[in-house]
Amino acid sequence: MLIPVRCFSCGAVVADKYEEFRRRVEQKENPKEVLDSLGVERYCCRRMLLSQGEFMESMHAKGP
Amino acid sequence: MELKVLSADDRRARVVLSDSSPAYANALRRAMIAEVPTLAIEDVIIYENTSPLYDEILAHRLGLVPIRTDLSRLNLREECSCGGEGCASCTLTLSLEAEGERMVYSHDLRSPDPEMTPMPGIPIVKLAEGQRLKLEAEAVLGRGREHAKWQAAVVGYKYYPEVEVLESCTACGDCVEVCPRGIMKLDGSRARAEEVERCILCRACVQECRENAIELRASDSRFIFTIESTGALPPLEVLRQACRCISKKAERMIALL
Repeated sequence: MLIPVRCFSCGAVVADKYEEFRRRVEQKENPKEVLDSLGVERYCCRRMLLSQGEFMESMHAKGP
Repeated sequence: MELKVLSADDRRARVVLSDSSPAYANALRRAMIAEVPTLAIEDVIIYENTSPLYDEILAHRLGLVPIRTDLSRLNLREECSCGGEGCASCTLTLSLEAEGERMVYSHDLRSPDPEMTPMPGIPIVKLAEGQRLKLEAEAVLGRGREHAKWQAAVVGYKYYPEVEVLESCTACGDCVEVCPRGIMKLDGSRARAEEVERCILCRACVQECRENAIELRASDSRFIFTIESTGALPPLEVLRQACRCISKKAERMIALL
């Protein structure tokens, strides 16, 4: 729904990098290179960003 | 025992610990992760929340936001002169007020202290038009052993690699080819390892060498630490505080004996 604030496995903060990651991947940049340039090294943190699904907007439709 | 800083900035540091033991290296790692006090939001008073997230999920997300901490000005709540009730010298009260349509970020949390502010840029919740959020959050010092939100750093260490090239080396270059980190170099009639700190002890060079001229050992008295701060304290300050924690524990142990 929303990007988790920290990595589930190691506890490093990943949420602050998500918006730049998403913007750059949408501009057809290679996700591997984006993660490398953001300094996300460990595979536990990389999967946090790579496997994120965004559906906050569909929650708004059902809200008050 | 000796500590040497290889590189350090405000988020990451690499440090070599020498003349030590695996037990001490691990004690230091665990102290950095679980014993260094940092600030994190503990109680949230929600006045208004019409966002798509439940109050408790919102509070959980807020709790995980790291807050820049000045340890010289705050006490742990249980050690504070207020007796754990909560006062200005053990609590930092932040406030947040927002109305949609917009994304609410961690830097929208207003802190009364310019030295102790939440790490910016973390999305908290997205508000649709007309949705409102109003809350107050109390941040207190805590330790990583109690909850991961107080974890000061992500820390790992590896044994210091020792690469030795023997006389029998023929400078065939096979090890240069196979090394995944590219640290083996040809130097005249013999291969040589450069920047051994980057070696990952994969033993590819040892397996590839036809003359069995490479010996690879992992030192059990030297360690390379990688300290990645969550943003609450600079990484070298985390290390300093961890050393302090260990010596305090040692003193308590001596007193008990």
